[in-house]
Amino acid sequence: MSVVQRSAAILFAAGTLACHGNPDALLSAHGFIGAELASPLPKPSVLFTDSRGHPFQLDSATAGMVTLLLFGYTSCPDVCPVHLANLAAVLDKMPDDVQRAVTVVFVTTDPARDTPAVLDAWVKGFDPHFIGLTGSDSIIATAQRMVHLQQAVKGKPDATGAYPVGHAAGVIAFTRDGLGRVEYPPGTRQRDWAHDLPILAGYGAK
Amino acid sequence: MQWWCSATGFPWTWAWQWYPGVHLLLVLFAIGWWQLGRRQRWSARPWRWFALAWITLLITLDWPIGKLGAGYLASVHTGQFLLLTLAVGPSLIKCIPPGGWLALAPVGTRRWRLLRTLARPLPGLLCYTGLVITTHFPAVVDGAMTSQLGSLSIDLTWLAAGFFLWWPIAAPRAFAALGVWGTIGYIFAATVGPTIPAMMMVFSDWPIYQLYELAPRVWLHFTANQDLKLAGLTMKLIGDVPLWITAMVVFFRGTNAQGEMVNA
Repeated sequence: MSVVQRSAAILFAAGTLACHGNPDALLSAHGFIGAELASPLPKPSVLFTDSRGHPFQLDSATAGMVTLLLFGYTSCPDVCPVHLANLAAVLDKMPDDVQRAVTVVFVTTDPARDTPAVLDAWVKGFDPHFIGLTGSDSIIATAQRMVHLQQAVKGKPDATGAYPVGHAAGVIAFTRDGLGRVEYPPGTRQRDWAHDLPILAGYGAK
Repeated sequence: MQWWCSATGFPWTWAWQWYPGVHLLLVLFAIGWWQLGRRQRWSARPWRWFALAWITLLITLDWPIGKLGAGYLASVHTGQFLLLTLAVGPSLIKCIPPGGWLALAPVGTRRWRLLRTLARPLPGLLCYTGLVITTHFPAVVDGAMTSQLGSLSIDLTWLAAGFFLWWPIAAPRAFAALGVWGTIGYIFAATVGPTIPAMMMVFSDWPIYQLYELAPRVWLHFTANQDLKLAGLTMKLIGDVPLWITAMVVFFRGTNAQGEMVNA
């Protein structure tokens, strides 16, 4: 490698570091990049319907797993697909034990349009292991309330009848002991997930 | 209204959007070129080169490519880089005839000395490589593309990079400093610079640009990781092709010229 190439590579690496900053400076008390909740939340004990049409009791069906819970809708034009695509990409590169320990649960806030079939095709398109859940408006509202998230709000329909749904866009991470401990806002990057997922998988593991 | 394409964070839409800054630049470019030809009384206008530069600028900077590259897809951003440096760069040089360049920078003047210096391989290489690497730093891309001024600066910097790259190859004889083998060596050396950001894009574990990683998706299952890999491959594999072709053309022209001299 010539001097010019070497210098350019060093400069580029320096620029990359400048962009990434020093993540250690921003870690939470337990070493997470995500925001640790002041008091852990119990996993909602709510009976949903999964994307295959089967009953899905959230707390018992995901017991002992790191559960990444997010609310959204399949027509979401920005945050939801980015979250799911990033999680799928990161989990794909994680060691087997981390992959096995983590489950991603997506609860629709638009059950009218997100039928089980629509939800299934959309969620499994990101990763066949991801779980899509639906339920009545009241069940979904209860679940959001239990994890202290703002209720989703249906926007005004446009000329074609399509409408946006305003919803809380964070991902709540429940550790294996069933407690929600960390929240990941929109804008969480893949390298952040790659840093935190092994810690989440190891947290409270027996 | 946005004057220049930049990242907004809004969901992508295929509805046409007007960017007056792009059209203003194109009008000014056309007027400037026309006036220069009139003032310098060119005997023949290099219409084809001007048209190539003008149309490529329009395609590259205007909606949809300008918008997609500024805020949604790293691969389109790389495509813009290639079009501006590899197509517009040489076209800008060639759309002014050799006499026109000499009239702009008469022999012996400071401008002529500057252009003659830039026609040497090392200054050309350093300027081009430096600009290519700098404008692909993640911090620079993430910082610049979110503002119209920043995005415009990147586009103009790539135009300048294109000029620096091609001036030693395509400058009129009064400025040229390279022979056949020098030009071929220069062209191969010029392919090294883009390799560095291209390799970072292809081989990095995670997306290096926050902007494109978190941008609303244009196609649902075309992921940020696939987009970045495509960007790196485009930059290296497609980007090198015009330079290799140029090297071959220079080689065959050089050998033909040598053959004609021997025959004479």
